[in-house]
Amino acid sequence: MAATEKVDLFKLHRKEYASPKKPILVNVKTAAYLAIDCQGAPGDAEFQEKIGALYGMAFTVKMTRKFSGLKDYVICKLETIYSGPDGGADLGALPKEEWCWKFLIRTPDFVKIGEIEKAAAVLVEKGKGAACGAVKLERIGEGRCVQMLHVGPYEREHETIALMESFAAEEGLAFHGKHHEIYISDPRRVPPERLKTILRRPVRAAEK
Amino acid sequence: MKPTTLHDYTERILRVLIHIQQNLDDDLALDGLARIAFFSPFHFHRVFRGMVGESVKSHIRRLRLERAASRLKQGDRPVTAIAFEAGYETHESFTRAFRALWGESPSLFRSNRNPLRDAPAPSGVHYDAAGNVDRFTPHLSKGEKMEVKIETIEPIRVAFMRHTGPYNQCGPTWDRLCAFLGPKGMLGPGSRLFGLSYDDPDVTPPDKIRYDACIEVDENFLAEGDVGVQTVAGGRFAVTTHFGPYDRLNETYAKIMGEWLPRSGETLRAAPSIEFYLNDPESTEPEDLVTDIYTPLE
Repeated sequence: MAATEKVDLFKLHRKEYASPKKPILVNVKTAAYLAIDCQGAPGDAEFQEKIGALYGMAFTVKMTRKFSGLKDYVICKLETIYSGPDGGADLGALPKEEWCWKFLIRTPDFVKIGEIEKAAAVLVEKGKGAACGAVKLERIGEGRCVQMLHVGPYEREHETIALMESFAAEEGLAFHGKHHEIYISDPRRVPPERLKTILRRPVRAAEK
Repeated sequence: MKPTTLHDYTERILRVLIHIQQNLDDDLALDGLARIAFFSPFHFHRVFRGMVGESVKSHIRRLRLERAASRLKQGDRPVTAIAFEAGYETHESFTRAFRALWGESPSLFRSNRNPLRDAPAPSGVHYDAAGNVDRFTPHLSKGEKMEVKIETIEPIRVAFMRHTGPYNQCGPTWDRLCAFLGPKGMLGPGSRLFGLSYDDPDVTPPDKIRYDACIEVDENFLAEGDVGVQTVAGGRFAVTTHFGPYDRLNETYAKIMGEWLPRSGETLRAAPSIEFYLNDPESTEPEDLVTDIYTPLE
């Protein structure tokens, strides 16, 4: 069956996408992602437009390959890395409008930049949003990270992050780098208290 | 006839229940039953399942088995004749169905002195030799109350591909439609993907079940090969969200058609319901899938 031959990066890299109820350490290797940058409050117009553009590109690239008989794959889940405008991870005090996001969809290495440019050209020409042209191919590797599943509204992620931070401290580690999250649930319909999100934070040895 | 109350809907389903009781030996095709209840064939099976708590097919099967049970207790006609009257061609298949309902074989059931018991029936409707239905309690499932809102939508022009066969096998049709439209830039931001299902999978032969996989397109798109173009009628819809696997959509349909609708004061419109798929089933766990169901209203 063709379906079983499909590359599914989320399943293939199950360890990197672990979603435990208690914090654990994971090792995230460098991988390719379709990526688009955005600044704004969660849910505002630009935020929605950029996520739409990223998904539109992901499906167009995948289905164009499929139409041409090229290797098929499963589209990964939406992820985001976000920070303040200066790259700082402490967003507590910042107005949400200033938050900077990088939306990501992990993509197999065999997808080439030419395919992405071609998909963007088709979508922009069809008037499906100029934002499609802003989708890039990026390689990101975070190495050692603390990771845990957060269940509940995004506004309460800080509670889970606090657990992750104290776990890191017990392990002699400290957060460094930007906050990363992977969306398991669809916030358009799933009630906030049932939302499932994998939270990830790169760590390194704590300074003595 | 414009039904607006629970009473009206109950009366209409009651007419069907009485017709089934009085014509147990007939074919009892879905279209005929839908006409008796003044329901469009698109919706009748879902209203019935929702209000009666079992599908049309299970209801008829149960009543035929209850009749068989009473015939076993009264008189001495051969079991094979009774099995045949209940719609079973072989003694074995009758025994299997009978045992599933009463936990014992037809011959043991006949020889012991236990009184005739009713099989479980969500609606309280049982076989009656005189063909009467004197009790019918519309089914109300337990659990969370369903959230339904009324929405008016514009007509949607779509490219579609017809799938004929069981609903759960429509995947390859979707793959072909997406691979055809993707390179043309039709899967861009905001594309709406939805399905139209026309038949009751419980009574329609699997090779006759019809389903259209639809993707919204603009005016410039023209039909090509087995990708057709149609305009899905707009209008008023009752909108509810189904959470979980596609193979459990029928439960949400039963709830909206059989429980919400009769108490809503609304009337169904003769058009298929629309299922808007909000996630990619390839990368989403079945229990995390989200589907908006639009039920057409007058």
